[in-house]
Amino acid sequence: MAAGGPARRAHNVCMVSDFFYPNMGGVESHIYQLSQCLIERGHKVLVVTHAYGTRKGIRYLTNGLKVYYLPLKVMYNQSTATTLFHSLPLLRYIFVRERVTIVHAHSSFSAMAHDALFHAKTMGLRTVFTDHSLFGFADVSSVLTNKLLTVSLCDTNHIICVSYTSKENTVLRAALDPQIVSVIPNAVDPTDFTPDPSRRDDSITTIVVVSRLVYRKGIDLLSGIIPELCQKYPDLHFLVGGEGPKRIVLEEVRERYQLHDRVRLLGALEHQDVRNVLVQGHIFLNTSLTEAFCMAIVEAASCGLQVVSTRVGGIPEVLPENLILLCEPSVKSLCDGLEKAIAQLRSGTLPSPETVHNKVKTFYTWRNVAERTEKVYERVADEVVLSMDERLNRLISHCGPVTGYIFALFAVLNFLFLVFLRWMTPDSIIDVAIDATGPKGAWTKQYFLGKKGRVKEEILNS
Amino acid sequence: MVCAQVETSPRRRWQKVLYERQPFPDNYVDQRFLEELRKNIHARQYQYWAVVFESGAVAQQLCSVCVFVVTWWYMDAGMLSPQRLFGAGLVSSLLGYILFNVIDAGVGRQESGRTWWADLKSTLVFIAFTYGFSPVLKTLTESISTDTIYAMSAFMLLGHLIFFDYGANAAIVSSTLSLNMAIFASVCLASRLPRSLHAFVMVTFAMQIFALWPMLQKKLKAQTPRCYVAVTMLFALAALVGLMTISSVGAVLFALLLLCISCLCPYCLIRLQLFKDNIHGPWDEAEIKEDLSRFLM
Repeated sequence: MAAGGPARRAHNVCMVSDFFYPNMGGVESHIYQLSQCLIERGHKVLVVTHAYGTRKGIRYLTNGLKVYYLPLKVMYNQSTATTLFHSLPLLRYIFVRERVTIVHAHSSFSAMAHDALFHAKTMGLRTVFTDHSLFGFADVSSVLTNKLLTVSLCDTNHIICVSYTSKENTVLRAALDPQIVSVIPNAVDPTDFTPDPSRRDDSITTIVVVSRLVYRKGIDLLSGIIPELCQKYPDLHFLVGGEGPKRIVLEEVRERYQLHDRVRLLGALEHQDVRNVLVQGHIFLNTSLTEAFCMAIVEAASCGLQVVSTRVGGIPEVLPENLILLCEPSVKSLCDGLEKAIAQLRSGTLPSPETVHNKVKTFYTWRNVAERTEKVYERVADEVVLSMDERLNRLISHCGPVTGYIFALFAVLNFLFLVFLRWMTPDSIIDVAIDATGPKGAWTKQYFLGKKGRVKEEILNS
Repeated sequence: MVCAQVETSPRRRWQKVLYERQPFPDNYVDQRFLEELRKNIHARQYQYWAVVFESGAVAQQLCSVCVFVVTWWYMDAGMLSPQRLFGAGLVSSLLGYILFNVIDAGVGRQESGRTWWADLKSTLVFIAFTYGFSPVLKTLTESISTDTIYAMSAFMLLGHLIFFDYGANAAIVSSTLSLNMAIFASVCLASRLPRSLHAFVMVTFAMQIFALWPMLQKKLKAQTPRCYVAVTMLFALAALVGLMTISSVGAVLFALLLLCISCLCPYCLIRLQLFKDNIHGPWDEAEIKEDLSRFLM
């Protein structure tokens, strides 16, 4: 490992998650952007995910970000099935080949992320985990998943959460020491979300909604708000971007109240189209019932829209009070909030989109995220990895008598499997992979400079 | 290092916001950490005797099933003629019907808007159809072995007990399914009786005890709780005595079951309530409390 600078060490980071491009979402863009910024700061970063259709093997993205698409079976919601053991040969090969020092897993919904943490600990690597979502405690399914999370995180070096609410939630769910949990928010590329007041029609008022049309995003609330407000304001229009099972509800409402010319359902949006939809509106409405961070409201605020949102999860932490109107998750409260925003809009007391944009763009940047994540890596790199017996003790003492012993047994089996694999193919005969960024990132600078922001990829045979 | 950073301006308080760069390390734990945590906000405090009173519904339904099976047994053994059962059923139904209307001074009837004539009509239609189809009911299950019939009836009655609406607001409750299962059991059992008149009377009796009787009970419970307790006791006693004449061991076991449900289970519920540890906080998924279906009507 070469030293990157006088104070900083370069780390070989492996991001593992089931969720990555071509899948679209918050986790996916988080991994991509964070990786790019870490490469920029001189670290070596690779991403490991599962194969998406014909996209398998190794791919290179912008700036030599190497992505492994592993041939693992997808079980549910793009998450792979887990047996806790079957992915060890592949992951071990990658970790050894790429000389990985830190394994950074993302999203608690991803089985692959948990597998990778488990194997990395068996191999004595440092582990970091980022939790992107909130979970309840009330039903049977959350009791079970929380137990698994406790097992997975009890011997992980450091955990990152995207908001303070998310930190509280994760600390409670996995019974963690809050000191090993850092809060590093998500970010938005402000250059992608610039305001453009000329694109909107100021003779009418447009409310924009961009979200997946699912129950958790509160689309049922939206189906109550639309008729309520459309009856009150004849020049009010709704622009809804996104796709999902709740689309039918919105279509029914549109049909029932004859609002075809005023409620436009745009269907699924490509990431680069989101901004073009956002700038057509005056007010952004978010009706989520639960949200750890909510990138959508930051994107909307960055485009200069007035944001009206439900007060749930981490949303109150994300934007200052003068940029967001927080409401209770009910039709009445949200309608009141929207009416207030409409009144402000008509009286002209809202700040101009440009002012809002200039303010928001200072809040969250990926460079800042990468800087703070790097601090976590620095801290983790100085920590001692738990030895096998300490790890077993931790599992048994931390995860309860039954689960603890079961997973301690699994850890032992995993270790034996690793010993067997090391005997089959010793680490010494595994080739060291060539760094796709070249020596000291030279290739990156030579070939890829000036192509920022576009995912440029070349297929190399694997 | 992350930890080494000490607060640079000790006066500045930590804020739970993400948009401001604060002079605290990322893993800083403030005193306000978890201050919005709430415990057991939906937990209810139960009173022992109130729970015992509510458990009466379960005991009642168990007794109904017991009385039904005992009656069938008597019919099957020829110790009870169908005419007598029908007569007794008719008289008690009439009494119950009058009671049902008198007990709330006719308020329920006015609210539902159902006339006496409509009640009489549906009664007549039901009786006529059951009587007409009773020969079919009698021979319906001839090709099925008696053991299968008994097993099926037992399962159906068990299902009836499981899905019955005891007043709990749960997903499993379905009074339609529950009633259907009970009627299915009665048709099965009726088909093993000697004659079609027996079958007719048996199905009518099942209707009375599984459909009409719980309705009356519910009204009794709401209007005159004292009277309801007395009726429940008497009914349980009747079921026990009936069972005693068939099997004394069965009667003892049934008595123990009733005691367990009415006295022991409430006690357990109240004791276990102390161990309840339910956490709530801002991370909980918000519930939509309004009725949104009105927008689609």
